[in-house]
Amino acid sequence: MTINFDTPVVVSREQRLGTVIGWDGKASELSKESAALCGGCETQGGKKLCELRGPFTQGSVCSEQMVECQAGNVRDAVLVQHSPIGCGAGQVIYNSIYRNGLAMRNLPVENLHIICTNLQEEDMVFGGVAKLEQSIRDAWERNNPKAIFIATSCATGIIGDDVEGVASQMEAELKIPVIPLHCEGFKSKHWSTGFDAVQHGIIRQIVRKSSKKQEDLVNVINLWGSDVFTPMFAELGLRVNFVVDLATVDDLEQLSEAAATVGFCYTLSSYMAAGLEQEFDVPQVKAPQPYGFAGTDAWLRELARITHREEKTEAYIAKEHARIAPRLAELRELLKGKKGYVATGSSYAHGLISVLRELGIEVDGSLVFHHDPVYDSHDPREDSLSHLVENYGDVTHFSVSNRQQYQFYGLLQRVNPDFILIRHNGLAPLASRLGIPAAPLGDEHHALGYQGIINLGETILDILAHKKFHQDLAAHVKLPYKQEWLNQGDPFLLARETNLLNTEIK
Amino acid sequence: MSNIEIANENLSTIALKPKKSNSIQQIRYVCSIAAMHSASAIPGVIPIVHCGPGCADKQFMNVAFYNGFQGGGYGGGAVVPSTNSMENDVVFGGTDRLRELIEASLKILDADLFVVLTGCIADLVGDDVGAVVKEFQNRGIPIVYAETGGFKGNNFTGHELVTRAIIDQFVGDYDGPREQASVNVWTLLPFHNTFWRGDLTEIKRILEGVGLEVNILFGQESQGVLEWKDVPKAQFNLVLSPWLGLQTAQHLEEKYGQPYLHVPVIPIGAMETSAFLRKVVDFAGLDATKAETFIQKEEASYYYYLEGFADFYAEYWWGLPAKFAVIGDSAYNLALTKFLVNQLGIIPGKQIITENPPEEYRAGIREEYHKIADDVFTDVEFEEDSYIIHQKIRQADFGHKPPIIFGTTWERDLVKELKGSIVEVGFPASYEVVISRSYIGYRGALTLLEKIYTTTVGASA
Repeated sequence: MTINFDTPVVVSREQRLGTVIGWDGKASELSKESAALCGGCETQGGKKLCELRGPFTQGSVCSEQMVECQAGNVRDAVLVQHSPIGCGAGQVIYNSIYRNGLAMRNLPVENLHIICTNLQEEDMVFGGVAKLEQSIRDAWERNNPKAIFIATSCATGIIGDDVEGVASQMEAELKIPVIPLHCEGFKSKHWSTGFDAVQHGIIRQIVRKSSKKQEDLVNVINLWGSDVFTPMFAELGLRVNFVVDLATVDDLEQLSEAAATVGFCYTLSSYMAAGLEQEFDVPQVKAPQPYGFAGTDAWLRELARITHREEKTEAYIAKEHARIAPRLAELRELLKGKKGYVATGSSYAHGLISVLRELGIEVDGSLVFHHDPVYDSHDPREDSLSHLVENYGDVTHFSVSNRQQYQFYGLLQRVNPDFILIRHNGLAPLASRLGIPAAPLGDEHHALGYQGIINLGETILDILAHKKFHQDLAAHVKLPYKQEWLNQGDPFLLARETNLLNTEIK
Repeated sequence: MSNIEIANENLSTIALKPKKSNSIQQIRYVCSIAAMHSASAIPGVIPIVHCGPGCADKQFMNVAFYNGFQGGGYGGGAVVPSTNSMENDVVFGGTDRLRELIEASLKILDADLFVVLTGCIADLVGDDVGAVVKEFQNRGIPIVYAETGGFKGNNFTGHELVTRAIIDQFVGDYDGPREQASVNVWTLLPFHNTFWRGDLTEIKRILEGVGLEVNILFGQESQGVLEWKDVPKAQFNLVLSPWLGLQTAQHLEEKYGQPYLHVPVIPIGAMETSAFLRKVVDFAGLDATKAETFIQKEEASYYYYLEGFADFYAEYWWGLPAKFAVIGDSAYNLALTKFLVNQLGIIPGKQIITENPPEEYRAGIREEYHKIADDVFTDVEFEEDSYIIHQKIRQADFGHKPPIIFGTTWERDLVKELKGSIVEVGFPASYEVVISRSYIGYRGALTLLEKIYTTTVGASA
């Protein structure tokens, strides 16, 4: 299925891939059901995954936030948020993450470049395009950027501002790409559509349309994580092109010239990797994700095949297996009998569960924030969930829920883990109040590759020690949830039986 | 300096004068729906938001997490129910969805009061949220609503909308007796002010010290909705801030005939705090002898510690900052300026107020700066866009050595550029961890001194 880059508006995940945000069962069942579908192509007669949706929802995350965290973190670009000031709140978190990310990569630390158009009530009546134009001019004068991104908002989506018109007019005038990113929060049920919106805009308006190739350059689609790729790729004679966060516009332009594209998580990289292959013949590495021995071996071999570095790669694989073996044996001993729970973004969780199982940790439950039955390549080699099930076994309690804390209590009761792995906020605070420590994987590369197995093991040992803090807290706090809700066992009860709203929860 | 030089300086200042526009780069306040924090700041109260899927998370993560890492507490953060409005709610309206969410919230969450807040979507689509909430109120359910669409005002004005909603829709009418020597306190904006929890605790402590029963209303020291039910019984309202809370106090005056005392300067240090307390004692007609006993005891303790600090302040070898700038919302800006000028003897370099106070209060605020001390005149500017704010700081004259800047995370790089030092005192303070720290009153002032001089001395070698 081809991606349509002719239109400025990205097609949402649910429409492209058949994404769901509520599901509960075994990982193997979800994998089987997903494979049975013609994922996402409902239009072609495929079925949709059965989705659990209930009346109670807690605050989630929106696409615009993901646009801020990507387009707002390109080093020599500016993101203009065309919105009331509330959307601008995100500047704070993504600034802090940007600064710490820059520091971790040994890049000069600075504040991010995001400007909010600060729309008022009268703009809702008369439109806000003049303010958008002014803010684009301000961006140009203040930061001298090489590209300007525009993030739309729920408000501008509803009032129907002609963002396209302003963007093309300013692009002609300033002679740099001015890229509208359509990311109204109400347009998609899952925030990952925001990643796609950014990547759609970059492919349409920034990536260089040249036939030049750099045979040793590999695109790595990631966030702010530490640079574990440069040393790894150096051994294979490859160079890294990190995108989108902390990249420069030059880095984005040369995406088309790379020999291959990889990522740390298909949830993030799916759209751009498929798009680069479709539009610029940059092959994407279609393999399991690089987690655990099985995943990392297969991923490296596919990268080697595409870039013709088989010999060096086999030597690297053998060397790394041997290098980490002694400490891995120790960690397995130290972690024996421990139970873990993974609660992260979708395909990232598939990878993390593999690593936990390499460490000999029991994983009976996992929560992912959404599920894509298929990724944009539609290639079975990227099926990270079935890779997990086939290589590392089933996960008995595998749940899809878009970061709904009220369900998390019940999910944890099912498996009673010693610790949880998280990335997004909102779930660890509840686990903490139950006496369960969390390892927040702020550095998304922490568990990646061979060294990642060791890293994660060491981190788990560290956070298990925190248990003392959390258990002390748990004995002294009251949860905001009603006892009747906590006592009944099913986190998805309301979704399964919505008529319960009219009766008492037993 | 000759006249020619002055003329040249004026010219260059004019040439460099940054151009003001609608743009806000590096935000310093957020939208009205962030007043969901004013609801969750009351023990036992949980907000319900009727808005897009990202609004609650966005306001929480930025106002309450990456701002001192305060946390969500009982009913904030990821607990907050949200309709997470989708296209369908935009096209067909979202009232059914809101009704369903409230109904479900009653089953799942344990709250003494729910506060419904609306976002841009509901306010643009025109959902009759009042009618939906009324259905629940008619069933005797403790729930109120405020229309807080992001394009109307900001989180300061949103705070007063939430406060008023609770008073009008939950506390309700009252014509019973007043309790002498009791007060409702309206002061710092919860969560947006990074130190509000510790500060409210100190305010309550010192007011109780002079003999008042205190409804502090927000934070750990509040008795939750029971305390709010007592609001009409209080002898008077105390507005302790340059302007925030004035609308609430005026509303209470109309509604309950309750008088109010407005003190614009939040007191820091013994000098200001004792003066503040005497003003309150006088207004409330409290027992002055008893109050003085408390004040004397507090001052004795304060000056005991200050005496110890004085050795450092008098003879520390390596120099201390002589000029300061404050960039932040008016409450802390004025409070800090007053303390630094009058009790530490530091020279004001630049004061910029950033929360966009309503126009009608600005002259009064400016006047406070003009009379900051008998022998010191200073002015204040109102700016919201950090680009312009930073230009103004760059152009300010800090004399022969670098200033100390009381600001936010946005000033971290600017301070490096000026080779000065920074104390993050306001939103966003992403590099401070704040639990119960206070910078005001008697005790907070000493903590503030520790923070200021640990920052400067700590960076010296």
